[in-house]
Amino acid sequence: MALLDIRKLDLSIARGGELLPVVQGVSLSVEENETLGIVGESGCGKSLTALAIMGLLEGTAVRIAGGSVHFQGWDLLALSPEERRRIMGRQMAMIFQEPMTSLNPVYRVGDQIREAILQHRSMSRRQAHERALDLLELVRIPDPARRIDSFPHQMSGGQRQRVMIAMALACDPRLLIADEPTTALDVTVQKDVLELIRGLQARTGMSVVLISHDLGVISETCDKVAVMYRGRIVEQASTSALFSNMSHPYTLGLLGSMPALDHDVEWLDAIPGRVPTLDETVLGCAFHPRCFAAKATCRTEDPGAAAVSPAHFVRCHFPQGSSS
Amino acid sequence: MSVPLSIAPVFRGRALATIGACWLLVVGIAAVGAPLLAPFDPLEFDPFVRLSSPGWPHLFGTDHFGRDSLSRAIYGARMVILIGSGSVLIALVAGGLIGMLSAYFVRLGHLLMRIVDVLMAFPALLLALVLMTLLERSVLNTVIVIGIVYATTTARIVFGMTLKLKRDVFVDAAICSGAGHASVLFRHILPNLVSPMLVQASFIFAFAQLQAAALDFLGLGLPPEVPSWGNMLSEERIYVTRAPWLLIFPGALIILSVFSMNLVGDALRDNIDPRFKDDIAGV
Repeated sequence: MALLDIRKLDLSIARGGELLPVVQGVSLSVEENETLGIVGESGCGKSLTALAIMGLLEGTAVRIAGGSVHFQGWDLLALSPEERRRIMGRQMAMIFQEPMTSLNPVYRVGDQIREAILQHRSMSRRQAHERALDLLELVRIPDPARRIDSFPHQMSGGQRQRVMIAMALACDPRLLIADEPTTALDVTVQKDVLELIRGLQARTGMSVVLISHDLGVISETCDKVAVMYRGRIVEQASTSALFSNMSHPYTLGLLGSMPALDHDVEWLDAIPGRVPTLDETVLGCAFHPRCFAAKATCRTEDPGAAAVSPAHFVRCHFPQGSSS
Repeated sequence: MSVPLSIAPVFRGRALATIGACWLLVVGIAAVGAPLLAPFDPLEFDPFVRLSSPGWPHLFGTDHFGRDSLSRAIYGARMVILIGSGSVLIALVAGGLIGMLSAYFVRLGHLLMRIVDVLMAFPALLLALVLMTLLERSVLNTVIVIGIVYATTTARIVFGMTLKLKRDVFVDAAICSGAGHASVLFRHILPNLVSPMLVQASFIFAFAQLQAAALDFLGLGLPPEVPSWGNMLSEERIYVTRAPWLLIFPGALIILSVFSMNLVGDALRDNIDPRFKDDIAGV
């Protein structure tokens, strides 16, 4: 069984007495030491999926309407808060989009890392301090002995994200969920942080779920990719299969809207239109109003998931790419 | 837990606030050293020097029992500190807990915050009066009542701030690392509330003095034998034409102290809340 196994996850947002679906039928699996990328525009449900896995939807308007999430054989959605707390941080950890706000501003970073360690490990404060130093070294913070006493506001965004990663890794989790870990960072720092995550993965054998809107980041880092649009997975394949044979017009659109680094372009091919809001109902394929390949069928019939090749699924009536 | 806060920048360029702080220091010294500093026993009657005017040896004059006003004023400083710190403690602990728990546990909050709303609907003095009439006059009861009155405003403030803090990413990060409710509330949210609560404390300290003085004056606060500035005003008010100094001195002390506390509170708030910085600098 896969390390993380999500089956037909449905999330809904309660508004004015009705439930609006925000994530529909998402099925994903992550094996040991594997990196799964989830890519899509803002509001496509990728972060909500991550929050649902971590159980952070409690107290929000979003409800889990159906499906299952299994992690190492545990049914995460059925766990008591007590049992869940034992897994959180120890078996699975998460790093967030905003390194600027994800550290508690009133604690020294060393204290925060130590706290994360002592939550699950019984060791003396001295040992925890040593471990915190090791972790800072591991995430390549220069001069950890000095930086361990810094407050978050004394550090740069990249350094804070490194501290977040150190906290997440405090108890050697089996699964790390990284929700746009590099979005708020400079491009050069971005590269460092991604390399760091990859290096740590190679070292510890953990699995990673990397959420991003940047196909470039995904292509460099992930073993397999799920492309999400409006709460659904529209294309899912191994990274090599996806990039050699992009089949969904939306995936192609995402690729086309990336600036090329090797030559100047006058005009980027943006995907026209915008993601429909939650209360707009789109008949047929949710992407058809923005799709360059839309035909009459797309307006009336919702495409099911079809295999382009084994382990490469696409939710489109007219998949693009070589094999179609 | 460590909050980066030093005293120096709070008073830099604020002459009045510095003077206020110095005055409060004087009050503090008077409170601590009252038995050494007071020239007479504040409770000792001397019928031969009733209502004597300020002069030697009674610098502030004597009241209608012949008690030395200066000594009573010096001992009164103890009540300032006691009432102030006592009600601040009760207001911050009770109000802080109610506010934090209400914001964190939404259902509980619906109940608790409505009770707070009802209490806040009464003017502070009226609420204190009602509560005091139900209780015996004593130092402890006065402190409790004033503490309860200001717990409501503290609860409101803390409620709002906790609502915001609990949505901050570092709280999610803490939950992700396996922190439970108690740990999130007291180890992650509470330290972020320390600075604003400190500012709130300085204002409660000041308002508590006014409330206590008003209660004393109305005969509902501290027991009459306790030397406090409010009691001095209350007992000697009928002699206002014959011996006005008996009211002028304690009245001036109350005004000066409350004003000083407000100035220090302002300086603290300006230093902690960047939105106020430089707007009214120099005050």
